[in-house]
Amino acid sequence: MSQSVFTDGLVCPAPIAEQTHVLLGHGSGGKLSAALVRDYILPHFANTTLQELGDAAIVDIGFSRLAFSTDAFVVNPLEFPGGDIGVLAVHGTLNDLAMMGAEPRYIAVSLILEEGFELGRLQRIIASMARAATAAHVTIVTGDTKVVERGKADGLFITTTGIGVCDSDFRTSPTQARVGDAVLISGPMGAHGMTIMSAREGLGLDTELTSDSANLYPLVRHLRRAVGDDLHVMRDPTRGGVASAVNEIAAASRVGIELLEETLPIDPVVSAACEMLGLDPLYVANEGVLVAFVPESRADAALSALRTHPLGARSCQIGRVVEDNAGSVWMRTTIGGSRLVDLLPGDQLPRIC
Amino acid sequence: MCLGIPGRITEIHDDNGVAMGTIDFGGVRRSVCLAYVADEVAPGDYALIHVGFAIAKVSEDEAKRTFALLEEMSQLDELEWLGEIARTNAAELTAPVEGEREGVR
Amino acid sequence: MKYLSEYRDAKIAKALARRIRATASRRWVMMEVCGGQTHTIVRQGIDELVGDAVEMIHGPGCPVCVTPLEQIDRAVALAARPDIIFTSFGDMLRVPGSECDLQQVRARGGTIRVVYSPLDAVDLAQRYPDKQVVFFAVGFETTAPANAMAVWRAHQLGVRNFSMLVSHVTVPPAMLALLAAPDNRVQAFLAAGHVCTVMGWEEYEPIAERYHIPIVVTGFEPVDILEGMLLAVRQLEKGEGRVENQYVRSVRREGNVAARKLVRQVFRLTDRQWRGIGEIPASGLAIREEYADFDAELRFGLQDIHATEPTECRAGDVLRGKIKPNECAMFGTVCTPMHPLGAPMVSTEGACAAYFTAGRFRKAATAGGVA
Repeated sequence: MSQSVFTDGLVCPAPIAEQTHVLLGHGSGGKLSAALVRDYILPHFANTTLQELGDAAIVDIGFSRLAFSTDAFVVNPLEFPGGDIGVLAVHGTLNDLAMMGAEPRYIAVSLILEEGFELGRLQRIIASMARAATAAHVTIVTGDTKVVERGKADGLFITTTGIGVCDSDFRTSPTQARVGDAVLISGPMGAHGMTIMSAREGLGLDTELTSDSANLYPLVRHLRRAVGDDLHVMRDPTRGGVASAVNEIAAASRVGIELLEETLPIDPVVSAACEMLGLDPLYVANEGVLVAFVPESRADAALSALRTHPLGARSCQIGRVVEDNAGSVWMRTTIGGSRLVDLLPGDQLPRIC
Repeated sequence: MCLGIPGRITEIHDDNGVAMGTIDFGGVRRSVCLAYVADEVAPGDYALIHVGFAIAKVSEDEAKRTFALLEEMSQLDELEWLGEIARTNAAELTAPVEGEREGVR
Repeated sequence: MKYLSEYRDAKIAKALARRIRATASRRWVMMEVCGGQTHTIVRQGIDELVGDAVEMIHGPGCPVCVTPLEQIDRAVALAARPDIIFTSFGDMLRVPGSECDLQQVRARGGTIRVVYSPLDAVDLAQRYPDKQVVFFAVGFETTAPANAMAVWRAHQLGVRNFSMLVSHVTVPPAMLALLAAPDNRVQAFLAAGHVCTVMGWEEYEPIAERYHIPIVVTGFEPVDILEGMLLAVRQLEKGEGRVENQYVRSVRREGNVAARKLVRQVFRLTDRQWRGIGEIPASGLAIREEYADFDAELRFGLQDIHATEPTECRAGDVLRGKIKPNECAMFGTVCTPMHPLGAPMVSTEGACAAYFTAGRFRKAATAGGVA
């Protein structure tokens, strides 16, 4: 027996129970929508606040200052070695909060689904988000789902918004880098971006690369415990890579940054993939790495603290903050020359020359 | 013109009359056309790859020979350079200090 | 990575640089032809290491940069058609045409796919039989064998919906044109190692002899380039002018015979416009009549598209080595990678873009850079 559901004036006579793909009707706010949330999303994000399905979630955070962040995630392919768009969306927002020194607590999720998207695939991605959230001790407390016509959304877009609690007066900011600071990195560069690049159809690369998408808050806790308020700046170098992140900090803090090429950590396979496509790893996205600025005198303490956590096992110093060339980032090359490491005008493109 | 990288050939096969194969470049693998080196290569050899084609076999002998020369040059050069530093330091130590004249303390 | 990492050894590189400085009795002027070599030199700061011994003039070795404006316009016209899947190497996407570039065409709805190899384009044509697949065949002699194979393969497999828009250029005519110019200052060449991997170095011997000029076939890693420079300096100091091979691990005098054979079978020599330089006779490749079916210009009737180069861009002077990028009045102000006036600012191998991203002009303006 079929039920009909009105969606924007169109009659959709399909039986609800037999859906394998997203229909426009799933975005209507009617029964199909309710069923989608009830059957495919709630079971994974189960918590009392979410079950209430109110317009907003009321959460208890005491008398603290809040950190608040939002980010949209569009990635192709949606699933890749080491993660998927869901995991990226959870970690991405968590990390934005953590980079400000806040403890991530609650997340809101907004999904834009393309008509025709496979529900089984949606399940996988939602389950993946739930696992990431649980492991990070955050709760997904509210959300929204919309459906757009075929062709209007590359499969699935996810927006996550997060709230974190700040620890008393401590705050980091990209304006706080100081001459004499050491620039530290928590792990090797380029794994996420090259994984995505390799997984893209058309380049035909076969590798064991996996995305490094991870929750960085534990590293932040370690750093705070080791150096306290001497933690001047933190940044997770996502789109645009380490080069873009340190450029933004150099500009915001009005200082110069000097990198040492021979200290930049990179996995051999990531390096090989970059070589093959003619890409510079400094500009390749990372999803499980942070850069931190601490006074040179505290660098050892900071590195020891980072290295006690598996995510930070390969932490090292990659440069320092200097007075010269304020606002710019320069690099001493392996053979002793020097070059500017500037922001790129756009995306890096694989090259032949 | 230009972006050519050396990869290790891991297998060779025939695809409709054209020699194709797989190269491994530091852990990244890709299918490449071996038509232009088919007569000289076997799995395990290295070839220079450009836009998905092997354009030359890398001569391991030539590479070893010339690299050995380079390393030798570099070591000699280091000794020379250290020698230079030593000579400069020695010269500085024996030169009269500004304000003093030879024989005067 | 074997046969790559060793040639980045800092100790050897520094030793070579010291040797070069110790051997040179004066400052010699050299040109590297190939964009990939320009890339390494500027990104590693090699020319700074040998500064007082060698002045490097960066040659027109960026096939992306010298692709005539007309060909870009033709590419844009093709890519905009709904029945065409336009395929290209990545670096072509941002080269400005008369009106726009390929990336902008994509934004407006054109189907453009970046491919790593021309065979991928043939593959695509087999997978989408109801579309036309056009491949933008740009490059020096290094890439010609790959493009020739793509045409040959399409022909062999009967892939009728595949064609190529060709913009191939060859190196020796460009070198001769540079050497023939009355204001030429180049005293030695670092020849493009990968071009020579295919072509060998026979055709450089008459050039070296005629102009009594050292031509050293050189690789692309810092150690290769420094060794190439050292060999050139030694010849110059001794008053020699011959072809020498630094890139022995990949290059032989006859090059790759099988590759040259197929290139000759599929392509013929033709006169070619070099963007910013002008026409150089017999410096390009075009598809032969036997394979005319695969020539996109014929298939799609593009012969009526013509373009005139804007006059403010001094790309030609840069490509000929007459001025350094930062000596152009527009460099870094009106003309930057974000809004390029000409091709050498667009491609990362172009001398202007290489200078800009390495911070050459900014170094002069600020207090000294990295000490």
